[in-house]
Parts: sequence; structure tokens; C-alpha cells
Amino acid sequence: MRQRKMFTWRAAGLLWLMSLGATSMPMSMWADPQPLGFNAYHSPAEVNKYLETIADANKKITKLHKIAVSPGGRDLYLLEIGPETGQAKKTLPAVFVAANMEGVVPIAAEAALYLAGLLLEQPEVRKDKTWYILPVGNPDAAVRYFQKPLVMDARNNRSYNDDMDDRTDEDGMEDIDDNGIITMMRVKDPEGRWLPLPGEPNLMKQADWSKGEKGIYKLYTEGVDNDNDGQYNEDGPGGIDIGVTFPHLFPFFTTDAGPWALSEDESYNLVKFMCERPEIAMTICFGETNFCLGLPRGDRKSAVDLSRIKVPEDIAREHQLDPNRTYTMAEILEIARKRMPPGAEITEAMVAGFLGLGTVVNPLPEDLKFYNEISQQYKEFLKANKLDNKRLEPAPDKDGSFELWSYYHLGVPTFALDYWTPPALPEESKEPDKEEKALLDFSAKQLNGGGFVPWKPFKHPTMGEVEIGGFVPYIANTPPAPMLDSLLKSQVPWVFELVKKLPFIRIAGTEVKPMGSGLYRVKVWIENSGYLSYPTAMGKRNNRIPPVVVSLTGKNEYKIIEGKKRSLVADIPGHSAKMVQWIIQVETGEPLTVGLEVFTPNAGRDHGEIRLENKTTESGSGGPK
Amino acid sequence: MKQTLVITAILAMLAAFALTPTPIYGDPFKKHEVTVPLRFDYYYSYDMVNEALAKLHKAYPRLTKLDLVGKSEEGRSIYCMTVNNPKTGAELEKPGVYVDANIHGNEIQGAEVALYLLDYLLSKYGENEEITRLVDKNCFYVVPVVNVDGRYHFLEDQRPGDNRSLRVPYDDDRDGMVDEDFPDDLDGDGNICRMRIRDPHGRYKTDPQETRLMIPIKPGEKGEWTRLGSEGIDNDGDGQVNEDEEGYLDPNRNFGYEWMPRYIEGGAGDYPLSGVGLKALAQYIRKHPNICMSWALHNSGGMFLRGPSTKTEEEYPAKDIAVYDYLGQQSERIIPGYSYLLSVPAVSSTYGDFTEWMVMINGCYGFVSELYMTEQEQFRTIAENKQAEAIKKIKTSETGGESGYNWDDWDDWTNLGRERLKFNDHVVQGELFKPWKPFKHPTYGDIEIGGWVKLSTRLPAPFMLKEMVHRNAMTIIFSAGNTPEVTMEVFEIQKTGPDLYRIRVRLENRKAIPTMSYHAQQVNLYPKDMLTISGKDIKVVAGGEIRDVYTNDVSYKEYRSEIQFLTIPGFDKVEYQFLVSGTGAVFVSYSSRHAGKISKTVQLK
Repeated sequence: MRQRKMFTWRAAGLLWLMSLGATSMPMSMWADPQPLGFNAYHSPAEVNKYLETIADANKKITKLHKIAVSPGGRDLYLLEIGPETGQAKKTLPAVFVAANMEGVVPIAAEAALYLAGLLLEQPEVRKDKTWYILPVGNPDAAVRYFQKPLVMDARNNRSYNDDMDDRTDEDGMEDIDDNGIITMMRVKDPEGRWLPLPGEPNLMKQADWSKGEKGIYKLYTEGVDNDNDGQYNEDGPGGIDIGVTFPHLFPFFTTDAGPWALSEDESYNLVKFMCERPEIAMTICFGETNFCLGLPRGDRKSAVDLSRIKVPEDIAREHQLDPNRTYTMAEILEIARKRMPPGAEITEAMVAGFLGLGTVVNPLPEDLKFYNEISQQYKEFLKANKLDNKRLEPAPDKDGSFELWSYYHLGVPTFALDYWTPPALPEESKEPDKEEKALLDFSAKQLNGGGFVPWKPFKHPTMGEVEIGGFVPYIANTPPAPMLDSLLKSQVPWVFELVKKLPFIRIAGTEVKPMGSGLYRVKVWIENSGYLSYPTAMGKRNNRIPPVVVSLTGKNEYKIIEGKKRSLVADIPGHSAKMVQWIIQVETGEPLTVGLEVFTPNAGRDHGEIRLENKTTESGSGGPK
Repeated sequence: MKQTLVITAILAMLAAFALTPTPIYGDPFKKHEVTVPLRFDYYYSYDMVNEALAKLHKAYPRLTKLDLVGKSEEGRSIYCMTVNNPKTGAELEKPGVYVDANIHGNEIQGAEVALYLLDYLLSKYGENEEITRLVDKNCFYVVPVVNVDGRYHFLEDQRPGDNRSLRVPYDDDRDGMVDEDFPDDLDGDGNICRMRIRDPHGRYKTDPQETRLMIPIKPGEKGEWTRLGSEGIDNDGDGQVNEDEEGYLDPNRNFGYEWMPRYIEGGAGDYPLSGVGLKALAQYIRKHPNICMSWALHNSGGMFLRGPSTKTEEEYPAKDIAVYDYLGQQSERIIPGYSYLLSVPAVSSTYGDFTEWMVMINGCYGFVSELYMTEQEQFRTIAENKQAEAIKKIKTSETGGESGYNWDDWDDWTNLGRERLKFNDHVVQGELFKPWKPFKHPTYGDIEIGGWVKLSTRLPAPFMLKEMVHRNAMTIIFSAGNTPEVTMEVFEIQKTGPDLYRIRVRLENRKAIPTMSYHAQQVNLYPKDMLTISGKDIKVVAGGEIRDVYTNDVSYKEYRSEIQFLTIPGFDKVEYQFLVSGTGAVFVSYSSRHAGKISKTVQLK
């Protein structure tokens, strides 16, 4: 049985943890985390114990934050690693890693722990960044993988009256056949709409009347009608699925998302934590979705069609536009540019905001460019690690998910990563059931059949003769523990490749030209030497990522004739530079050195100086030669 | 929770700033003694509001409770006063009526309405039959000041900004520095007025009819003035004046329903319910699921607004609209000149709106009151008024607007300004408008400072306050009177077979508001009302709703027929039938989140 196997792996894991907890760990133990081995899954309690242990053993470079307590009383621990853990205000960019927000993806939490291990082991990868790692975003749900009977349920322990009757959480699932696993029940019923899949009687399919098929069974989750209301398992314990509680495309009036976005502390406090840390430059989310293998979903129906924009009547009147026709964004930008003073910048965000266009629901085209490129590189990376076998597709991103919030609201480059799905069937099958067939195949070949409980007759207390069976929960996203170590070892380092893409802002060069009579024309080139643009197109559109601030220091020794003391550069694409210029007057006529400060909250900062004297000076590589 | 309210040393300190003696318009810095019954011929400072609450609580300890809802960004307390008669039932078992005000720090007069409502309910209790009945039936939750920091700064700062926002810092000009360039009271008169500079190339000239006003020049005319905006200097030396004042985080754009980020909704914070006071208020409200009617008091314009508050939402269910129409139209009658309108298009979309959250997520009926109309500052002869009304009629038919003013038309502004200045001169003795005075500005040089003062913005003069607070409190009282009032009648017990009885129960709602809003029913917000039947020696064989009592058409429920889930529409009834076997006492009970609990015992014989 697969169930028993899992318990054995866990026992091994426990021993491993006990050996860790015994003494505070010397740093050298991190020289190679591999011998300690990721050969078991760890419960939320074990994860927290482990985080406490490593935080305690690495006080100089770690800080443990408790960001929330779940309704089930479980602490959400967040581990901070980096050279600036001692200070509240960071100067280094930070990477935020959140894992298992769904609560039903055990491997995601293991990957987060593995990453923490790599960071502690390798000073090189942590030297110029702060890392925030939340290994278990939804601990109430995550703990179910470690409990008996085995059930997959993404909801936290907030009590919720799913069926809106007079009782709450009164009718959950039961392991009535006592095999330690909650599976399905099929019951013959005249109204049944399911029938066994031809050729694979273990799998079920919905009858298609147009093909002459007739349903035989009704399908239920395993359990009894605890409250005698004629419904089965309609109001189990819990709760709210933390994975869909975030404010972008929050699914209102659904049973599992809660009354409004961030109604739960797990997500509210997480969002608050991140919003209070403008140094966060990138979010990586370990879970069921993968933005590197595929791309973020881009086919959502948008309220805004940027190729068919209608201009509201009052604005149209004022700007001599036609309120009855539609414009493309490019046309409007063109019109707007003509009316702006020269040099003034007009962006899509400004137009969208001005016209009251709605919320962005698909990745912006400029951002899809980097998602595409990075996806190609990821595939190369997998190939090099011999992990490019075709596997079942990761889950698509969900409305209200953490990763969508991070991209659309926080505006930072966001990468969701999953770590495993079962192998896809070799032939290019187009059947709708190919995923289930692949799971069955995986169960048969790799798990000795342990991934599927064959249908067995059972005498149900109210339904009479039923059959109980079906897939074992988690089989589709959780590899057997012995596979963990190699999966993590070969895939987690991809995170460091992603982080290498971050934008990095610095002074590329300066130029001072005396104009006579104490006036100087000063040019400064600000360069983004990183791959990703600063900010993302989304971060620019939603105005969330502030501009680069280029300021002159000093006060009374000079006058600014043109330009601003604090100049703002809204964006700098990857591997590009932008110029900022001033005309400065020095009344004394004496040579003067003025300091330059370049500030971004999350893409580095730089400083330099310019020398105002009666000769043309240049420095750096940014200026045109 | 009893709170000892402290008038702080700040109070004494501020008293020292007393300006001109006995101003007509009301001196915001002057502290009055707070006495019960409360007076409404001045505005209450934040401390005085708390003092008034404490004194009301002391005067009526049996009927009131003072709850600390939470603390603001700057640590001020947000209080809710409940009015409930415990002798007629527990708080949560009565229809709750929620009233809050001053969520925008500058929209202060709602707090006076809230205080008046409390004072009125409490002082009339036992004297006035209607009010006694109302207080016995309902539980009132009244939060006079939501944005406590805003009210404090609006009334008491020597250097007031706009103060609409929560005190959550925001880098408006995105220069890496936060809230660093406020408006400044340059001439030290306690007001932020406007600045103008004499400029032959300016786009404004002096209004020939009213020399204190400026009007735009027509093509070919010579300019006289350039307007320089609010009084202030370039505090951060970035070449811009007053570009980064407090906040801005609009507390009425940060609730949980249809919350949108800042690039869609200007006042949004970083995430829904960002703001410690707002979060606390949301939690407080969620602990009072009996609230079925919600009023949020704002200014101005003289409007009762109902949702949807965004143009992206669908219209409310038709049966809910009928309830709003009933309450809204009666409110129009109670306050002459005020209009009952839909939020959109009366005002633009407000995402993350408080009232919308009350309606959509908490299942209330909710109104936003926009208190006070500038038009009330009239200064006309009867003949002039007739003329103005005639013009208004033409304009209304031309523009389709409600007010008769076309706010895009500068002439209308000028006309309104001229009239208001006469009102200022002759009704409030010049306290609304500061005459233009020369000032030496560090950036602009020789300028003039003057214009409308802080208290002129959308606030009635205190002598007009009394009528405003009374009429607005009466609209709230009308809606409170229309919260569900359910009676239960077992109107038939009949033996219909050997060991089988037919029991018929009628539930009637005598008021306009249904026991559950149609929206709440549509989206399954919370469990419906329940009618249960039980007894030691009985068995419920069947039970269900009577569709037609004459033909005995009953829709029986298959499972658990001893419990029926239902709602009772406004001014309507529902009837249920149970088939019961056994003997003895039968316990019939009804319970509803918004309409309380009723139970009865009947005997089978």
C-alpha cells in the first residue's frame, strides 16, 4: 500500500529531525546539506522546529519572523537570511520566496527548506541579497498530509458554514472503509451521470448522451450524511483556502475564498509584511503552478481591450476626440504626446489611469518578453539536469492567488515554480482522460499500484451497496519521498539563475561641460546593468515601483538653473542607460565637487561625484563618446 | 466596555489659542463645556466628541454601552456607542442599526448628526412613545468619528492640511521622501487659504461685480492674476509646492468589497483594510451580525446615495431596490432639497467603498448621506429667488442635472461665489472668507493670500447645524423604524388523522426591510432564518412552506423537515405547515440574524 510507504518515509524524516534538534548546529554542518538528506516530508510543526534550530545556529545571518497564527493555532514562520538581518532598513535588494500557499503541495515546503540550506551553506549566494523564505503559507491545510486519514483539502481551520444550515462543520468526509485514505464512493443510481471509462474500468467518465452513453453511477466523496440532510460531506471542517485569498481577481462569493480578499491573517499579514519591505525585488512562489515551464495565464477576458478604447465623453470633448469611436492605446499615446510639452513622458499607465481603464488581467506584452526568454533558459536548464522528460502540466494560476497578486499588485517580477508532476504518457494522446490515465500508469509502474485504491464493494449505512475507491490524494503533485533529494538538488538552484536576472541600477558615467560665466551642463547616465527592466511593465503600469531618484547633494554652494535636485527616472529597461541632466551655476567661479546619489528601494543604489571646473570632464562608460 | 475618557492636556494647551471673541461661524479652537442634553450650536472637537459620549453614557448607563473599537494610526481611540434596552432583549437578538460618520477627516458634521441621534434617542426614551418603541426594538451602533486623526487635525491644527486621509504616509510625488511637502499656514491665521500673484499674462482677472473673486479672461482680454494654489512653500526644495501632503489613503476606498489598487482607485492603500483603525472597525462590525441597516455620513451635496458604488458592478436585485426606494423617497421628504440617488453616476465609482462592503459582504441595506448643500447659503430676495429658480429649471432641463448647476460652467461657479460672499458678509459677518492680503513668498515673491477658510468647505454655519442634525437623524430613525419586525402566529392546530396533527404557522414582517436582503439570499451570505418545531413526545412527519393556504398546496421538505429555512419579505408574510404525530407540548421557534428570536409553545390535544 502506498499509504504505508509514506508513513515509513515520515518515520525516517522524524529521526532525521531529532538528530538535528539535539544540539545547536555548527555552521560546518551546512558544508553539504546532502548527507542530511531530503528523504522525507516534514509536517508544519517539524518545519517550524527546524527553522528555529537553524535560525538559532546562524544568528548572525538569519532572523526568524512569526508573521501570523492560523485559525488552527499554527505559527507561520518566515526565515530571513542575509547580511542585513540585523537592520530594519535594508539597502540590499531582497528576494521573497513563498511556498505551499495552497497547503496541499508538500514538496514546495521541502524545496523552501532546501533553498534555505543552500543559502546557509553558500556565502556567495547570500552576500548581496536579503532572502525572505516562507516555507508553509497555509499550515492548517498542510498538516493534513501528515494526518490520518489522508485527505487533500486546501482550507484552513476557520469554521465556515458551507451549506448555510443551522450547524457549522458538521458533515465532513470519513474514512468509512478504514484504509487510512479518503477516496471516492460510486453508487448505482437511476440519475447517475458517470460510467466506467471503456477500456479502463477503474476510471470514471461523465456520460455523453450525444454519443449514446448512459450514466450508471453517482459519485460522492467518502463519508456519511452526518446531519441527515440528504447531502454527503457538504460541510466539513474549515475553512478558507489561503491560496486564493489575495486581492487580484479575488473570487467573491465562493465557498472557499473567505468573505473578502485578505480576510485571514495568514494572507493579510503576509501582504502587510511584503508591503512594508520595499526592498523586495522579486517573488518566487513554490507551489503547483509554473511560470517558467509555461507562462502566466494570458487569456483572461479583460474589461479593457487596449486595441478598442472608448474615450469618456467629457474627456473626449475636452481633448477634441471622438467619444463615439474606439482608439488603440498606440493612437492615444500618439495624440497625447503631441500635446505634452517636449521631453515630458507619457506612459500607458498615465493614459489608462486618466481614462479610467480597468484593472490589468493579463501579463503586459513587455513582461511576456522576459517570461518567454526565461522559460527557454529554464528548459535548457532542465535538459542539462536531465529533467526534461515530458510530465503532466502544472496547474494553471488561479484567480486570487499569491503569485498573481505579486505580479499584478506588487509589480515585481514573479515566478511560480512547481517541482514535480507524474510523467505524461509517451504517446500524444488527445483524450480528455489522458491525465488520469497517466496517473494510473505512474501508480502501476512506480508505486506498485499504491496510487490508486481499486473500487471495492462496501455496505454504506444509508446508501446501501456502494463501491469505494479512486486515486490516493496527493499522487498528482507529490513524488515518493525517496525521489525528493534528487528533485530538489537538481531544480532548486534554478532560483539562483532567476535572481541573476534582477535589475541593478548604477551610475554609468558623467559629463561636465562648462558653458561660461559659472554655468555648467552636467549629464549623468544611469544604467541598469541587469537583465530585467526596472521596473517590470506591470510595476510601471500600477505605479507601485518608484522611479530611480538621482539627486545632487550639497545645498548653498550652487544653484540649479535647469533640472531638479531630486530627478526621477521612471524606468530603465534591462541593459540600458538613461541620461539625467542639469545646468548648474557656481557663482563663486571656484571649482566645486558636487555629490551624486542614486536611490532605488530594490535595485541597488550608487553614489558618485561631479567636478565643476573650467574644463570638460568625462568619466565612466555611459556617455556617448 | 466602559472607558474612562480623558480630556488631555492638549485641550488646555489649545484653549490658549483662542482667537477673536465669540465668532459667529464657530471657532474651531474654542473648547466648550459639554453638557447633557448635548448642544448643537458649535462643532465638537475630537476630545469633545469623546467627552460627549462619556457623559451620555454616564447619564444613561442602562441603555448605553461605550465600546473601544480600536486605535488609529496616531493612537487615538475610535469609540462606538450602542443604544440597547437589555430588558427587552440582548443586543445581538435585535435588528442592528449602524451609523458612522467622519470617515473622511474633513467631513466633520456627520459626527454632530451621530451625537444628536444618540442624544435624541436617549433623552426621548420614556417620553416619546415612538422613540421608546424604537429603542426597545432595535440596537443602535453609533461611531461618531471613524477618522479620529483626521478630525483632530482638521479642527485643531494651527497648520491644517486637507485631513481627509488616514495618517498612513504615502509618497505622493514618488521622490523617495514621504509626506514632506504639506501646505503651510504662511500668514499664521489658522487657515490654509489660496495664493495668487499679480501677473499681466495671467489667465484670470478680478471679477468686476465682486472684487474678491477672480474670473477667467476671455480671448483677447488682458490678464491680471495667476493662481498659485493652496497656501504653502516648497518645503523639500524640489521646485514643487505642496505636492506631498499627509497620506493620501482614503479610508472609504479601502474596505474589502471590490477593492482596487491605486492605479485604478486613487485613494487605495497598498491592500484592503490597510489602516489599523479600519481593520479594527471591520472586525468590530463582523462581531455584530445583527446589523441590517447601515448609514455612513459624509458631506456634501444633499444626497442619499445607494449602491452599486462602482460602474463595473451589476445593479442590485429589483426587490432590494424597492426597499431602497421606499426608504430613500421618505428621506427626501424629511429633508427638503436632498435627493435620493444612485452612487454611480451621482458620484464616480468608488472601489473599496465602506457602504458597499456593508451591503455586499455583510448583507445590510446601506445609505451614504452627503450632508449639507452649499446652495443653502442663499442670499436672495423673493423675486431674485424666483428668477434663480426659473434659470435653474431651464438648466436642469438642458443638462439633465439635479442641482441646476453646471459645475463645468465657470459662470455658475462665479454666481455661486458671489452669492456666497454676500452670505458671508451679511449672514456670518465675514467669517467665511479672508480678504486678499499681500505676502512675501520665498519662491514667488510678492503675492497675495486670501480666499475661503477651512470651515467654509461644505460645512453649515453652526446656526444652521441644529436643523441639519435633526432632519438627518430623523431619516436614520425612519429607516430604523423599518427594520424587520416579525410576529409569529400558530394559526391552526388540527387533527387530520389517527395520531397526526396539522400545525400551521404564520410569520409576518410588519416593516419594509426584509429579514434577509435579496442580495444576501442570492449569494448565500449567511444562513437564512430558521423555523423549528420540536417536542419531547412528538415526531415531525413532514413540514414545508404553504404555497396556497386555501388549496392546501404545501411544498414539503424531504430531509429534516422539523427545520425550515426561510426569509420574510418586507410588509409580507410566509406560512408553514407541519404534520406531527405524538402528544403534548410542541415548541415552535423562529430565529433570524436580523429579526431576532420568537418562540411559542402549543399543545396537541
